[in-house]
Amino acid sequence: MRPALFWPAISSAVVLMLLMAVAFGSAPLTISEVGHALTGRGDATSIAIVQTLRLPRAFLALLVGAALGMAGAALQGSLRNALAEPYLLGVSGGAAVGAVIAVAAGMSSSGFIPLAAFAGAAFAVALALVISRAASGRAEPRALLMAGVIVGAFANAAIMVALAGAPPNTVRGALWWMMGSVADANWIQVGWLSLYTVAGGGALLWFARDIDVLALGEEPAAALGLDVDRVSRRIYLLGSLLAAATVAAAGLVGFVGLVVPHVVRAAGIHRHRALLGGSALTGAALVIGADLAARTLRPPAELPLGAITALIGVPFFLVQLGRRS
Amino acid sequence: MFNLLRALTAILCVPLLACQANERTAGDARELDDFGVQVPSGTQAFRRIVSLNPTTTEILFALGAGDRLVGRSDWDQWPAAARRVPAVGPGLRPNVEAVLARDPELVVLYASADNRAAAAQMRAAGIATIALKVDRVSDFRGAVRLLGNVTGLGTAAFALVDSVDVVLRRVRAATANAGRPTIFWHVWDAPIITIGQGSYLDELVDIAGAKNIYSDLRAPSPQVALEDVARRNPQFILAGPVGAQVLASDPRWQVVPAVANGRILVVDTALVGRPSVNLGDAALSLARLLHPRLGL
Repeated sequence: MRPALFWPAISSAVVLMLLMAVAFGSAPLTISEVGHALTGRGDATSIAIVQTLRLPRAFLALLVGAALGMAGAALQGSLRNALAEPYLLGVSGGAAVGAVIAVAAGMSSSGFIPLAAFAGAAFAVALALVISRAASGRAEPRALLMAGVIVGAFANAAIMVALAGAPPNTVRGALWWMMGSVADANWIQVGWLSLYTVAGGGALLWFARDIDVLALGEEPAAALGLDVDRVSRRIYLLGSLLAAATVAAAGLVGFVGLVVPHVVRAAGIHRHRALLGGSALTGAALVIGADLAARTLRPPAELPLGAITALIGVPFFLVQLGRRS
Repeated sequence: MFNLLRALTAILCVPLLACQANERTAGDARELDDFGVQVPSGTQAFRRIVSLNPTTTEILFALGAGDRLVGRSDWDQWPAAARRVPAVGPGLRPNVEAVLARDPELVVLYASADNRAAAAQMRAAGIATIALKVDRVSDFRGAVRLLGNVTGLGTAAFALVDSVDVVLRRVRAATANAGRPTIFWHVWDAPIITIGQGSYLDELVDIAGAKNIYSDLRAPSPQVALEDVARRNPQFILAGPVGAQVLASDPRWQVVPAVANGRILVVDTALVGRPSVNLGDAALSLARLLHPRLGL
């Protein structure tokens, strides 16, 4: 796809997905009922379903997708590794440890899990930075990648130990959280995550030129006068915290950060300012669509969002890969 | 060709016939447990028993075999006397070594796929096992009779089943003409888990004179979407004390009219939490909640 076609296509995909996410759900409301409910008319249950459940959910999915897409694009560029994504770098593991500790401590239904998850993620990111510095004397990209993977592996082991003796419903709750979901969305969450996404995404866009230079390679970047370690560290922190904010809002929604930047690059977009924007839109469309599928494929149950993003993302990714080769 | 067909038919029919034969003989004295393993014959009454399921532990005490229990799972807390039996760890994926250390003759487990390997290991160590799935009221009756047989307490088992059935019949009769409100049973919040027709709670709700809005779902504890709960619009919500607080304080739940209007009934989780000897009292407590005017 030519870049000129990409932008209108992806923008209309986001709008279409948003409309569909509000129009469809396990309750069979007609389009006119949904329209009335949006303007506050009709019966109370329809209004509540559309305004309290579907709308915040669609917007939370949009933000989660946008933030993860940008985090993935930034990390892949700054660490110069096509497999780099926030979840590989300890963010998910750290967040999950925080959340599982909260669940195991019996705080499964309060607003405490997001806080615990964010704290866990931030701790894991800081730990990875410290380890990479201790290992290489500086925060060089390869050491950062390794440190992130190690912290993630350690966190996974800790989760298994914590869940080994937990009662069945706690395990089910923890697993559900680890598979990601925007089912609990409310406007306060949407507000917080939009704040993080705008601030973090804005900062990444601000540093987009630096990521372009970093992507050339360590030596060329240094030759061009860039403080490589400092800039990679900064991008790593920004990308990870952006991902941590999504984890706090929706649990672990895998695959978006990995796949989305590749899809955008396949459309011929390589400069990081455009790549970040394109990844935000593509991620948003993917996650809204995946959530729509998650809540309509097998009613009245909901499927885990993280699994659906992967199920949709993989074939899409393979098609793009095939086209490129 | 004809011969081939006949051979195929014969092969296909053999297992079917075998199944029929099994059903015919499995009347009151069951031959196979819920793992399909031969139940130990009734000639021998077991003296040292480990029970790894709150329900079967409670049943064994009710039968008068509490003094034969030499081990229980961490979750088996009822009756109070059960807490004096040494705990040997979890009831799912049990610690086989800890169980064997109690030197039991019989181990009673919950028939979950998680327990298959452990049961096989115990049998390999020469210990009899019985795996029981107690999800429905009829499972409870079957479990009581079977445990009565293998402990030589068949008469007590008969009396126990009868005493529960009498109360259940009385509750059903009392609520028969009282109108049947629809209910949603809130089991867990993230994800939202409720009860389906596979659960004894679905039966108890029916006996107590109400209709579970998810009795069309087969699973005992299905996961459902909040939007769908709102659409099915139950008249009452049944929840434990913690769940009731969550429902009342979480703004999302306001989409369900019963929550918005405060029609949340708090169930006694200690009473309804397991399909055991107090099934009758559990049904009675639900009927009192759902039909306060009947003065039960």
